[in-house]
Amino acid sequence: MKTPELSACHELEALLPAYVERSLPAAEADRVAAHLAACPACQLQVTQLRALTDDLDAAMPEVPRTALRANFMAMLEQQKQLLTPDAPVAAPTQPVAKVVSMWPTALANNWMRVAASIVLIAAGVLLGRNLSWNGRGADNGVAANSNKPAPVELAQSMRQASASDRIQLVTNTSKQTEPGDPTVQVLLNTLNFDANPNVRLAACEALYRLREDPQVREGLVHSLAIQTDPNVQITLIDMVVAMRVRRAVPQLEKLSKRPDALPVVRAQAEAGIGKLI
Amino acid sequence: MTSTSTSDEELMAAVRADDLDQLVPLFERYHAPLFNYLTRLTNDRETSEDLTQTVFERILKYRSSYQPSQPFKAWVYQMARNVHADHWQRQQKLRAADADVEDVERTGALRGAAFSQMRVANHHDDLHEALNLLPTPQREILVLNRFQGFGYEEIGQLLGCTAEAARVKAHRALQALRKIYFAN
Repeated sequence: MKTPELSACHELEALLPAYVERSLPAAEADRVAAHLAACPACQLQVTQLRALTDDLDAAMPEVPRTALRANFMAMLEQQKQLLTPDAPVAAPTQPVAKVVSMWPTALANNWMRVAASIVLIAAGVLLGRNLSWNGRGADNGVAANSNKPAPVELAQSMRQASASDRIQLVTNTSKQTEPGDPTVQVLLNTLNFDANPNVRLAACEALYRLREDPQVREGLVHSLAIQTDPNVQITLIDMVVAMRVRRAVPQLEKLSKRPDALPVVRAQAEAGIGKLI
Repeated sequence: MTSTSTSDEELMAAVRADDLDQLVPLFERYHAPLFNYLTRLTNDRETSEDLTQTVFERILKYRSSYQPSQPFKAWVYQMARNVHADHWQRQQKLRAADADVEDVERTGALRGAAFSQMRVANHHDDLHEALNLLPTPQREILVLNRFQGFGYEEIGQLLGCTAEAARVKAHRALQALRKIYFAN
């Protein structure tokens, strides 16, 4: 025979979580309360259950790293891109003009990039082989007979050509020009208005070779006020110093005080003033 | 059983209609609880991040099967349970494969992951150690009830039993946990 107390404990054990949770019907809750008053073992259980419940409630949630959100966003973008080809499918039936992306997927984009870079590299190799890269001293050979475009043509080609082609044109044109040649004006325009600093630098070098022309000295002084690229600024300073252009001094003074000029440029301008005066 | 304004269900209906951006607010609402749920089940944060990601991948993949009449929460947790079950089965296969030397070599990386899981588990405090000693079904019920804020009705729906049965199971699980927690 079991003692009534033990069997009561056993029976009530299943009810204790609900009792702690306060979800028992009133009648049963009263029965448990009455038993608890006389049973230390069951009291201990209730204490433990309460402590456990508190600990569970106090348990900190596991927080994911932010990488989870980043991965999700990347996955979502991918899925969205997979959806977009569906839309243009209907396009041919519509007579209305519509912009349709030719490369809708990331994959196509990547392949396009790879293909484009191969084309660019190939073009670069071809250019490198076909164009003459003769330096200052090389007045003979291909460059001498091939490139002496008339200034008008030169100005026209300058407008259309790519930056590297423009450099090539500038380098080649200056070789056999004589003082008073209108090419100087084209080169000065290039120096002042070409968007690419490397083209402007090439124009500087070309103009230096034409330094006998009085337009060049005037033009370089004028250009000192316009240039903002530090490489071009320093090259110009060196040139006016080398050519001993005294008239450049006021411009150099301004440049040495310009707050937007790099310190190295300002120092160079100051040093140039020292050599010129 | 709330039916408030811009509900999960409305958002998911939009996702179903290929408005995938509407998954973002659902992600914001659910990714942390799902990650938490999966971490309690796997004891492995890294795996749980992968599994959480998988849940959202499956939401997108199976979005057309979502019925706007069904609660999103139940649907997404069902999916999370399945994702975890798949993971668990993979782990079982892995353990079975351990007997085979060649397989061991082939799955070396995955075994490394299992080892890191053990290490992470060792870091947990007493409560989590006790939880980890519970059989998975009991642990899952407690996690849903205590950490995920699931009512017995919802647990019943998820586990395919009545709310009353879910309540009894949860109370048994709590008693089982108490015995482990206060064992010494």
